[in-house]
Formats: sequence, C-alpha cells, structure tokens
Amino acid sequence: MSNLAAPGPESQRMSHEPIEHPYEDLGAVGALGAAAIDLMVGGRELYSVFVRTLYYVARGKREKGALARQMYEMGNRSVFFLSVTMGFLGMILVYQAGLQAKRVVPDYTLLGATYLELLVRDFAASLGALMLATRVGAGIAAEIGSMVVTEQIDALRMCAADPIDFLIKPRFLASIVMTMVLVIWAGTIAFVAGAFTAYFAFDVPLQTFFNHQLVDFGDMAVGLTKCLAYGAAIPIVSGYCGLSTFGGSEGVGWATTRAVVNTSLTIIILNFFISGAGFLIFPG
Amino acid sequence: MAARTSTSADSDKGPGALSAFLSGVGSSFLEIAETAGGMTILLARVVARMVPPRIDSRELLKNLYKMGVKSLPIVAVTALFTGAIMVIQAATIVKRYGAEGLLGWGAGFGTLREIAPLLTALMISGRVGANNTAELGTMVVTEQLDALRVLAIDPISFLIAPRFISIVSTLFMMTLFADALALFGAAYTGEALLGVSPTTFYNGLTSGLLGFGDVATGLIKSIVFGLVIGLASCHFGLATTGGAPGVGRAVNSTVMASAAGVFVLDYLTSFALGG
Amino acid sequence: MIQFKNIIKSFGPKTVLQDVSFDVPTGSVFFIIGASGVGKSVLIKHLVGLLYPDSGEIWLDDQEISKFDEEQMGPIRKKCAMVFQHSTLFDSMTCAENVALPLRKHKKLSLKAALAEARQRLEIVRMEEFADRYPPELGDGMRKRVAIARALTVDPTYVLFDEPTTSLDPVSARRVDVLIRELSDKLGVTSIVVSHDLTSIFSIADRIVMLYRGKVRLQGSREDFKNTPDGVVQQFITGRATGPFEL
Repeated sequence: MSNLAAPGPESQRMSHEPIEHPYEDLGAVGALGAAAIDLMVGGRELYSVFVRTLYYVARGKREKGALARQMYEMGNRSVFFLSVTMGFLGMILVYQAGLQAKRVVPDYTLLGATYLELLVRDFAASLGALMLATRVGAGIAAEIGSMVVTEQIDALRMCAADPIDFLIKPRFLASIVMTMVLVIWAGTIAFVAGAFTAYFAFDVPLQTFFNHQLVDFGDMAVGLTKCLAYGAAIPIVSGYCGLSTFGGSEGVGWATTRAVVNTSLTIIILNFFISGAGFLIFPG
Repeated sequence: MAARTSTSADSDKGPGALSAFLSGVGSSFLEIAETAGGMTILLARVVARMVPPRIDSRELLKNLYKMGVKSLPIVAVTALFTGAIMVIQAATIVKRYGAEGLLGWGAGFGTLREIAPLLTALMISGRVGANNTAELGTMVVTEQLDALRVLAIDPISFLIAPRFISIVSTLFMMTLFADALALFGAAYTGEALLGVSPTTFYNGLTSGLLGFGDVATGLIKSIVFGLVIGLASCHFGLATTGGAPGVGRAVNSTVMASAAGVFVLDYLTSFALGG
Repeated sequence: MIQFKNIIKSFGPKTVLQDVSFDVPTGSVFFIIGASGVGKSVLIKHLVGLLYPDSGEIWLDDQEISKFDEEQMGPIRKKCAMVFQHSTLFDSMTCAENVALPLRKHKKLSLKAALAEARQRLEIVRMEEFADRYPPELGDGMRKRVAIARALTVDPTYVLFDEPTTSLDPVSARRVDVLIRELSDKLGVTSIVVSHDLTSIFSIADRIVMLYRGKVRLQGSREDFKNTPDGVVQQFITGRATGPFEL
C-alpha cells in the first residue's frame, strides 16, 4: 500500500501486499494464519501512522485555518446526532437502573449520584466516542478514500507534502479537542435526560438526582484519559483505513466500513485497558 | 432518494444564523421522515414476498453464512471485553458496599438486558450493515441492479429479502452468543480483579433477582435492532446515487441511521416491555 | 415490430427526446446513431421499462407498453433482452453462473442442469473455456460476449445493444459485429443497436435512424445515408471536425 510510504530512502518505506487469496481458499488453519499476519502488519502500520502523526504535530507545516476548519466540520456534523443518541441512552440507562434498584433496594437517593459517577468515569466518553466513531470516522475514511482512488494522494506526494502531515495531522488535533468538548456535551445531555426520566418514571425529585458527591478525582482522571485516547484513536484508525483504500472506486465503500468497525473495536479495547488501569489506580 | 451528509449552518454571524439553524433542523426532520417512509415501504415489499415465500434460497443461505462468519470474531472480541468492562465498572460499587455476592447480578442485568444487545447491534451494524450497503450500492451504480430487472428477475426476492432476513437472523444469533461470552468474560474478570470466584458469580446470576425474562428482553431487542439495521442497510444501498463517492455516502448514512434507530428503539422497547 | 410514436422525455429542465417517432421492422439489424448524450441509450431503455416517457406511445408486437408497471413488464422483458454498455455481469458469480441465473429462474432448471446449458451457450459465443472465471478477470470484449450469451437465455425476439463496440479493440469489435449479424441471419432475432461506431454501422446495419438534437434527422438504409445531401448527417458519417453539426 504505497500510499503509506514515507518519502525517503527505501529502508524507511513500508510495503504491504494485501494477502491475495480470499480467506475461504486457504482452509481453516491457513485462514487463521493469514488473518494473524494481516493483523500484525496492520498493527505495525497503524503504529507507524501514529508515530508519524505525532512527529508532524511537533515539526510539521502549519496550514492556516486547516485546524479550525476540521474542528468546525467535526463539531457541526456530529452535534445533532450525538445529542439524539446520548439523550436516548441517558433515558435507557436510568430507566433500567431504576427498575433494578426497585427490585433490590427501593431507595433512589443515590441513583443520580451513581449514574453521574458512571457517566463521568466511563459511559459518556465510551458511548459518545462510539457514536463519534461512526459519524466522524466514517466521514474521514470516505473523504481520504475518495482522494486515494482519484489519485489526489499521489498528486500530494508529488508536491512533496506528506499526506499524513497534510491530511491526518489537522484531523488528529481537531479530534482530540472536539472529542473532549463533544463528550462533555454528550454527558450533559445524557445526564439531563436521565434526570427527567428518573423524575417522570420513579418520582425522583431533581434536587436529589443532581448529586455529585460520588464523583471524585479518580473518576474525572479516568474519564478525561478516555476522551484523549479515543480522540486520538478515531482519526488515526479511520485515516489509516482511508489511506489504505484499494480496489478502485468500490473501495471507498469498503474503506468506510472498515473504518467504522476498526475504530469501534479500538475504542472498546482501549476502554478495557484504561478502565482496568483506572480501577487499580483509583479503586475508590 | 439520495443519501446525503448533514447540512452545515450556512453562516455563524448574526441573525442569519438562527434562521439557518432552524431551517437546518426542519430539513433534518423532513429527511428523517423521508428515510423512515422509504424504509417502511421497503419492509412492506419484503414482507409481501414472504407470504407466500418467494425468496431465493441459495442467496439466503449464502448470506447467512457470509454474515455469520464475518461477524463471529468481532462479536466475540466485543462481548469478552464488554463483560470485563461491566465488571470493572460494577466493581467500584460492589467494593463500596462489600456486596461481592451481588456482582453476578450487578454485571449480569446490565449485560443481558442492555449492553450486550446494544453493543452487538452497533458492531453488527458496522460489520454487516455497512458492508451490505456497500455491496448493494456498488451494484446499483454499476447497473447490475438494472441488469437483474431487465432479465425479469425481481431484485427484492433475489437480492434484498435474503439479505434482510440474514441480517435479522445473524443479529439474533450473535446476541445469544454475545450474552454467553460477555458473562464468561465478566466472571473471569471478577475473579482476577476482585477475587470473586466464578461460582459466586454464577450464583449471583441465578439467585432469583435475574430471570429468564431478562434474557428474553435482550433477545427481543436484538430482533427489533435487526429489523432497523437490515432496513436501513438495504434502503440506503438501494437509494445510492452518484458513483463511488455516492457509495461512501450511503455507507455513512446507513451507519448513522442504524445507530440512531437502535437507540430510539431500545428506549421504546424497554418501555413497552415494562423494563 | 416495434414502433415509437411521438416520444417526449425530459430530465429536469433538459428535454432529451423531443418528439421521436420511427418504426423498427422485424428481423432486421437496426441501428440508432447520433452524438454522445443525444438520447440513444435513453430511448432504448424505454423498451425494457427502465425509463418511462413523459408522453407518446411505444408499441411492441401489438402491445402499448409505455405505461406498464414492473409486473406487466415481466413478459415484455423476456421478449426483449438488453446487453448493457459495460456488460454489467454480476461480479459475485462466475461466467457460467451468470448465464445460468436466468435459466434457473425462468425455465425452473436445477442448478446442475442450468450450469450445463450455460456452458453450451457460452460455447456458441466461443467463451466456454472461461466459464469458471469471474467477470473482473476478463477483458472487455470477453465480458461483452458473456453478456450476449446471458441475454440470449430468455430466447428473446428482440435484443437491444447499448454501444456494444465502444470500449473494444478493433478485432473484438468486429467479432461482436459478426455475432450480431449472425443472430439476425440464423436466429431471426431483431437487433436494435445503439452505436456511433462507423465501421459497425456501415458493415452490418440493415436500417439506420439518426437522432440529432432530440429529433429524428434521417431514417433509411446504408445507401440512403451515404448519398444524403444533408450536411449534418454527412459530417457525422464521415467523421469530420468542422461543419454544421452541433453537439
């Protein structure tokens, strides 16, 4: 996938031949092996994209307005969608939690507090990021993928501009900032929706629900780390899928699909590791 | 009906912004109505070919196999990690109240009723739904769909209905599978992190606070989600226009519509089933 | 016999066909020629229900089909087959499976029987050795022949060809011409060919109609076209860059 090759001597360039045979041809063990190899090579290339993006953040060209434009795009595209989904999510979570609480301990005083804690620590960031992965990730992959199949990426490289510097870096920075902003917004919507659900379904007064005593420093640290990690992951993974588009014009559809799936998976795996670490460091 | 990306506000200076915002909201609603209408019509056409059954059985089996095989690894990974994450989140609360025995219940109810069906649906919508839209969209823009019609072969019976049914079935079976794996992942994470043995976990699960009804709720949800994802995927695939970028846009629309639809219906179903 | 009567078709503000009328005699090789975008493909798509006219009538063997819905179009599509410009084979099936599909659906053959007959039909177009390959692996000319074999499986009385030689090398193009001529001579099929390939036009056409700016400019035999004093037609058929012809 020459699109990922860095301009430079042969030794620095990566090459990756996509495994030619469809998996079905290889038999079970062969397919497993081929999948493992694909995964490893993909992982290595992904890591390379990440490292080069960081490099360009520090040392790359500054393009006027590119960052602001990306931030506007991301925010604008996602706000309505995120609000709707997180609103409903808040209602669902509180409704379910309330029903279970009713079965075990019919005391709703800490419902709001526990809910807020869980939101801050995990759900706002993780579920919000999953939604962003579909909206923003698919958009990035589709945009970059279209550029690949219309040879604009090759044209970029002819002008001695590294596609990672020009395309991924602004999206990377924009995503880190906007993910944080959007997650905070999403969490707020989810919390407010939850509050109203608790009021209408279980008669929990809003005063009682708006209780932040259970949220401590550890929760906020974990939540913020997740925002940062997801914000970094989304553009890197979906940008990588966009750049590795192959198969001509139909490839754009496949690239978009791969971006959504791989970004979502990355978020879930990152969630596991960060939550685990968070629990061990901040058990309270 | 063309799939399209969302409108952006035309300006953010002055009073023009408010009217631009309102018109944006208005056109979004119209678009949502149009999409919902299109999907309902598609559903009617598919159902019309199920009674009496006029569906290509070879295509049905081919799609069931393809979708099932494609989703298995993703669902497995997601379910295991999800179970683990649920335990990690519940762990804080469990430790606070010293309620280790309730870990099975705590992680279990959330998983079976909500999180497993929801996350499985989201992952399938990406893996299978988006893929299906890309395939159908490519067939539309390369005139293969017209070629079918000209051969007097009904595209709905041959192409759409088998895929739709496969998506619903795949989601149902994958949710079942995900339920089991998530609980498995949860049990072993519980042991690793809190020293709660799997036996205690299992007892907490079946202690009477959770019942078959909880599993059933999750499965009913998975069927509803399957319907939404299948309809969205086929609808946007069929409505693709505009060549290769059009296919990318259609995939984008499918994934978004599926996600939104899943959340909305999740809430409505929870409410309807009395929780 | 096919008759177009006063067909008008617009797409948005642009009127592509402005009152087109002509007849296609049975058993002939009939060419519709004209510049790119003049509406030739649009016209023949009306014959298989892929498009509907804004006004006018279309008669196919004593049936007026311009207002038929999908279900009524079914029998018409078995009488009138179409070979698309880009061959449009199904990429997920082998060549044999492509040809076998309509056999399975319409003649209710089992998969084995359908594949066997498919191979025979591929032999007729001299593509039997590629029966188990997938369309993306083949060249344009080869795909075209498979597409023709597939179209013939419904045993049609009319076959529509949308620019059959446009993307082919000269040798493949002549082979397709020969195939089209054979269909008419040996099977009595009426072929309607949309084309701007001058060699094809003047080697196999029985009758020609030329569309110019949404209307019929001239109808007749090859001789009529060669000898016409009409400057627009002359410029087109001799392939000159300058003259009264406007796109």
